[in-house]
Amino acid sequence: MPDLSRLLREKNIIFVTLALCLVFYLISPRFLSLDNMSAISRQIVPIGLIALGQFFVVVSGNIDLSMGMGSVLFAIVLGVFFGMTGGVALGIVAVIACSLALGFFNGVLVTKLRLPAFIVTLSMLFCAQGLSGLIIPRGQQIFLMGDFFRFIGAEKFMGLYWSFLFLVALFVLAWVVYNHTRWGAAVIAVGNSEENARLAGVNVDRVKIGVFMFSALCSGFAGIMLSSRMGFVQPGLDGNGLLLDGIAAIIIGGTLILGGRGTIGGAFWGLLFIGVINNALNLLNVEDVWHQVFKGAVILAALGANWVLWQSRQVEAH
Amino acid sequence: MTTTTAAAPARRGKAMDSLTQRYLVLIGLIVIASVGFGIANDNFYSLANIGILLRSIAVLFLVSMGMTFIMLTGGIDLSVGSNVAFAGGVGVIALTATDSALVGFAAAVLAGMAIGAINGVFIGRLRLSAFMVTLATFALARGLALVIYDADSINVFNGAFLWLGGQSWGNMPVVIPFVALVFVALSVLLYRSPFGRDVYAAGSNFNTAFVLGRMPQRTLVWVYVLSGALAGLSAIITVGRVSSGQPWTGLYLEFDAITAVILGGTSLFGGRGRLLGTILGVLLYGIIINGLVLTGTNPYLQNLIKGLILLGVVLLDTLVQRRKAQ
Amino acid sequence: MNFKTGLMSATALTLMGAPAVAQDDTLDIVFINDGHVAPYHVAWLKGFEDAIDAYDEAFPDTKITGRWLSAEGSLEKMIQQTEVTINEGPDVMFVNAINVDAFEPLVAKAQEAGITWIAVHSPMDSADYSFTLGDVVNGTNQGLAMCALSGGEPYKVAIMLGQAGNPSGEARREGILKGIGACDNIEVVAEQPADWDTVKAQSIAENWLTQFEDLDAISGVTDAYMYPSIAIATNSGKDLDFYGYDGDIPILQQMQNGTVKADILLSGTREGWNFVQMAYRIHEGETPDKVYDFFTPLVMTEENHKTALDNGFPEDVEVYYVDEALDVAAKGYLEFGPDSVK
Repeated sequence: MPDLSRLLREKNIIFVTLALCLVFYLISPRFLSLDNMSAISRQIVPIGLIALGQFFVVVSGNIDLSMGMGSVLFAIVLGVFFGMTGGVALGIVAVIACSLALGFFNGVLVTKLRLPAFIVTLSMLFCAQGLSGLIIPRGQQIFLMGDFFRFIGAEKFMGLYWSFLFLVALFVLAWVVYNHTRWGAAVIAVGNSEENARLAGVNVDRVKIGVFMFSALCSGFAGIMLSSRMGFVQPGLDGNGLLLDGIAAIIIGGTLILGGRGTIGGAFWGLLFIGVINNALNLLNVEDVWHQVFKGAVILAALGANWVLWQSRQVEAH
Repeated sequence: MTTTTAAAPARRGKAMDSLTQRYLVLIGLIVIASVGFGIANDNFYSLANIGILLRSIAVLFLVSMGMTFIMLTGGIDLSVGSNVAFAGGVGVIALTATDSALVGFAAAVLAGMAIGAINGVFIGRLRLSAFMVTLATFALARGLALVIYDADSINVFNGAFLWLGGQSWGNMPVVIPFVALVFVALSVLLYRSPFGRDVYAAGSNFNTAFVLGRMPQRTLVWVYVLSGALAGLSAIITVGRVSSGQPWTGLYLEFDAITAVILGGTSLFGGRGRLLGTILGVLLYGIIINGLVLTGTNPYLQNLIKGLILLGVVLLDTLVQRRKAQ
Repeated sequence: MNFKTGLMSATALTLMGAPAVAQDDTLDIVFINDGHVAPYHVAWLKGFEDAIDAYDEAFPDTKITGRWLSAEGSLEKMIQQTEVTINEGPDVMFVNAINVDAFEPLVAKAQEAGITWIAVHSPMDSADYSFTLGDVVNGTNQGLAMCALSGGEPYKVAIMLGQAGNPSGEARREGILKGIGACDNIEVVAEQPADWDTVKAQSIAENWLTQFEDLDAISGVTDAYMYPSIAIATNSGKDLDFYGYDGDIPILQQMQNGTVKADILLSGTREGWNFVQMAYRIHEGETPDKVYDFFTPLVMTEENHKTALDNGFPEDVEVYYVDEALDVAAKGYLEFGPDSVK
């Protein structure tokens, strides 16, 4: 049964996404042009990184609200180091170190002090937002131009952006880890029932700290991608929008927000779904004010569809 | 998220103890913050300033009280901020169309309740995750507000419509006694009515409540409708305050409300918490954050302080409780 | 035209003679702004802070203090901040009102309390003074520059607008379209609001570059849109022309390599310095024009200016060359520092 429902769930989002693509193509043939496809592939990279990190956190039965503002903070960390040294190597090391530290901190507070993940990461959201403006003197903007940023932001390999390839590689790696390692199984077990996982010999605390470190690392990567594509950084970027798009992607992809269930493939299709909608609304010159209405309605519809598939599980899981 | 509630539900008496203790912590912090601001700024205690401060958190009081009901059932409402903008838009349009303040009020409150009802049906009847459903209506309501306003603001001149949010008796804004009235009404509803008991029951254990015939599904729907109605009232107050309808009003207000409710000791997982705590949480939040806003502290520093307060209070609470348990 | 500006701002005001001041003379200036995040805001607030320090040091007889508040885009917050500020009773208030009508009662209240109210950007009849920008004229100059530099061939431009309904943005758009209307080779292929938001500007620019393969130029009503637009075009190897508006220093620097063709030298730094100069003059008893129009020249390279003149660009439009523009943008005191009022 789980195999069947998994297939069904993934298929439903695949069908919806492809159907949407067809509709958009009929409205504007340019939608399926190679140029636009690659534009979509590049636009979804930061959201995709947030979605991937969030995926593991959510499956483990937690949530990480600090990912969006975190990626803004890490983009600025990179910018500040670039501004000081003119190079990127040190900046990237700093981003990785800072993000792992943030994730570790989140994880420890959640596990060792038994604070709810929601509260811990909500306060980290505020802290990251604040720090992002405080570490740049007077909140200035920094241009990020150079070979590295061009490489991440614009270089292609066989017609595909390197940043997109990186995202795909990370998804493949995550798929392997999630489906074929003990750690992946442990994340699911913790999300289903911490008690049972503990009884089965899983080190629950270590797993949870691990997922938070991974999600923070993903937001670090998202920050690097974001800043490279923009070509400049400044505080006050809307990290929350990024966070909510990422969460929407995995939920539309069939991940259970209560933990314990979800597939990487589904998350990827959910991501494409969000990316297609974001892109098409702009490309088809849909009036700006309708974007949010459309997005909200589509998410509600997707939730309704998932409800049909998950009905039994939802009732017992509350 | 709920899997982290591995701890057995606390007995009622013990929960009250830890809540009382939280309230004492909050009152202490409020006193410290007030004294601090008083020293830093002679003008802080002028009656006019206190009026302005209270009025600036009137809307936060209302939506946080709605959020308290929701969080008592173990849910969450991310859509309130957007709902304030949407309900305001509907109210202002109805007002300009009919030129009747009463129709405007009714339209705003009903519009708020409508979004609340969507939330309630999806969450209560379909048993979908509150986080996800209200995330969708968060986008939907904001989008509808933008459509209604065509992304522009609309000026309002109707004195009766602006009265609640705009009028003051001397230094006392009309809205303050109004908020107090709402607090009393909601307290009666929560502590003295069967509905209130249903709210606690739905939050403590949905399935038990279900088996006992308390119909928690229906309770959930009404809790979200209530939150929507409070968002509608907030919309009226906001429009009165700025004598115009603004499509981007209330952006990320839900984060502030959730923070205030958590500060007030209400559990994220339902069943535990009181309205009084929320009032104290909003007061602390209002005095510190709005004190900083109004005195021109670096906005980034404000965010950092906000995060540290939230973490600090929750941490302090946990540590004290742990010591007690040992 | 090098040192015209100092003189210009000096003659723009009528000198009434400054009375001798006592040691305990104070001047407290509060600037309530609609935001603090956009690059223009950052430069603006920095110019304001620097100018306060410089004036306080240059005039030891008067204790000059000042602070800014950011309403973070919320009208409600701005009203609260204004009310609290009125209670504290500063001497001069600069208010960049998000919605002018909502502030009418507060202007009266401030004036009752003896505070000089200066409306920023959107003029108010009731205010003591209004500090305005000449958006239509500036926009027209940008459009005219585009006409003169487009070379007569068919030329496709996309224009990024402000928030729908925002008066400043609408006025700038009106001006740009009027300027472009002077020639018939320019086609506006797209107009889209980016709500003063750099992130939105980024995705719009990205879509334009895919949508219009033969796009020649992007014009914007703020330099905030130029950062992502330039970065995206550069990174995808497309050679576009950019027409900016604001005089942000990093954008002015992009003129030297020819990426940005023309910009309007508002410059946040200059504006911040001008505020303090204005407040000081009022404090000294001078009366500026009730509607004080900020002097905002067009910026081009010398070479482009010559080309433009050859193509019929009007000679009476004041143009600064890049070096000069960078100089006054970086050093607000050159035009509006304490020396300008001594």
